[in-house]
Amino acid sequence: MDIRPKVLVTKIGLDGHDRGSRIVAAHLRDAGMEVVYTPPWQEIAAVVKLAQEEDVDVIGVSSLATDHLIVPRLMEALRAAGLSEVGVIVGGIVPDDDERALLDAGVARVFHPGTSLADIATYVRELAARSRAAKFAA
Amino acid sequence: MEKSSLTLLSADAVRRGDRAAIARAITALENEMPGAAALADALATEAGRAHVIGITGPPGAGKSTLIAALLAECTKRGRRIAVVAVDPSSPLSGGAVLGDRIRMSEQAAAENVFVRSLASRGHAGGLARTTRRIVDLLDAAGYDPVIVETVGAGQSEVAIAALADTCAVVCPPGLGDDVQAIKAGILEIADLLVVSKGDSALATATVRDLEGMLALRARRGGWKVPVLLTSAARGEGVAALLDAADAHAQACGRGRRLARPEPAPADERARTAALAARDAFARNCRIELVDAGAGHAEVAMTVGAEHLNFNGTCHGGALFALADTAFGLASNSHGRVAAGIEVHISYHAAAREGERLAARASEVSRTRRLATYRIEVRRGARGEGDLVASFTGTVYVTGRHHDSPDGEAPTRSSRRSP
Ligand SMILES: Nc1nc2c(ncn2[C@@H]2O[C@H](COP(=O)(O)OP(=O)(O)OP(=O)(O)O)[C@@H](O)[C@H]2O)c(=O)[nH]1
Ligand SMILES: [Mg+2]
Repeated sequence: MDIRPKVLVTKIGLDGHDRGSRIVAAHLRDAGMEVVYTPPWQEIAAVVKLAQEEDVDVIGVSSLATDHLIVPRLMEALRAAGLSEVGVIVGGIVPDDDERALLDAGVARVFHPGTSLADIATYVRELAARSRAAKFAA
Repeated sequence: MEKSSLTLLSADAVRRGDRAAIARAITALENEMPGAAALADALATEAGRAHVIGITGPPGAGKSTLIAALLAECTKRGRRIAVVAVDPSSPLSGGAVLGDRIRMSEQAAAENVFVRSLASRGHAGGLARTTRRIVDLLDAAGYDPVIVETVGAGQSEVAIAALADTCAVVCPPGLGDDVQAIKAGILEIADLLVVSKGDSALATATVRDLEGMLALRARRGGWKVPVLLTSAARGEGVAALLDAADAHAQACGRGRRLARPEPAPADERARTAALAARDAFARNCRIELVDAGAGHAEVAMTVGAEHLNFNGTCHGGALFALADTAFGLASNSHGRVAAGIEVHISYHAAAREGERLAARASEVSRTRRLATYRIEVRRGARGEGDLVASFTGTVYVTGRHHDSPDGEAPTRSSRRSP
């Protein structure tokens, strides 16, 4: 079946720089994916509602400052909404200890600065396929 | 608590307004997944209650921002409202950035609002091909109104006129020469003319221009098309716009789209499978059907000794046959007999014995008589590998129909048996 990955690129928390997430969004589009993105400063509840309505396969959270520390709360909220199949990745400056905590919270992968956009796209495609399969498994 | 897809593809859950079920059902409809056709059928009888409002107009006219303001106004009036926002897919990559929703972020967070973004996926006419079915579903889910934003390509937006009960054409101020383009194209389909960005300098002049143009046009069906000045930024004229849309629905009715039945996706899949089964040449080349639906098809073959040329690699004619089979199935999937009139193929890499190759055809454009398809031949069982050949082809769409025994186009009643 010809299924295009659907991806949400978002920012939660206080950091207002969204140039990075725009670049990622455009790159994922050029890699053939359908991308929704949000303005910065999103409430977790709004992100969850969006992810549900748009039925995204992957959520990419961009974090430049310490926004990634809120991601475990996002994971919890996604689970509570029945969206545990959605793959979540985090991109940005994330210290090792925090990365471990994110992975423990269910984040699929953390991308550090300097990762090539092509690598991100390849990974997102795989993750989206897994997420779709889990969602539509009878 | 884990929910299975069985409960998620449930007509009852959609009727109850279960957000997760509605969202998952839209995905199934959009991708023509198994179960989607049955679900659409189960809900079909409930369609026609909601007021479907189409919002169209040139790129950047302010459509999404206006919808955001309408969401706020509907929320104020206690309505449950859904938005389907269509953005263009990139013709090169097939991907899309769905940017309409970002203008509605704040309003879309409200409980009574459901927003879904769709990519046009190469479908001409300003909508995605499955938009109609998705609107039917949101209608059955009890949303009223259902607002549809088109891609905003300018003149090719007539599909919205067949879908929406009320069609609002958004005109940014200072159209200048564009007025001519609008007059020739989308002005014809307007039930409401909306001048956006009323807070900017040229807005009132644009209202005058449009009123002047309307004066030259014959009235249609007793409805006088109003020109409405709005500023979404200031929230001005938005209540009046919603009132005018309501008045239009009062005067001209709801469910306009239901007058034109659309074949169920299952029809297209089954039809394509039947055509593939009759294709002796494809069978002889060991080409197999993998997947098909309206306007698309995927076929595959394993390169065997009989496909090799004197260099020991896969013969160009075999690659052509693979691509051409996908082309033929996709172009005939809609039900009318289509005949290839021109094709072009580029070979990018050699394929070797034992390799599995897949060709995937997708519709680039389709009019009543002509349709164009792009086919990619890639390595891998589902074409996940690198590009081996690319193929573009155009068909002439005849008046004959595959499904009817006499080869004539079926009448409406023969097509829609209960
Ligand atoms: N001054 C002013 N600017 C507006 C208003 N409404 C929209 N805009 C601006 O117009 C630009 C385009 O707005 P959108 O709502 O995205 O327009 P659109 O027609 O949906 O655009 P596409 O979907 O890309 O075709 C944005 O920069 C908006 O901020 C308004 O009422 N006043
Ligand atoms: Mg828009």
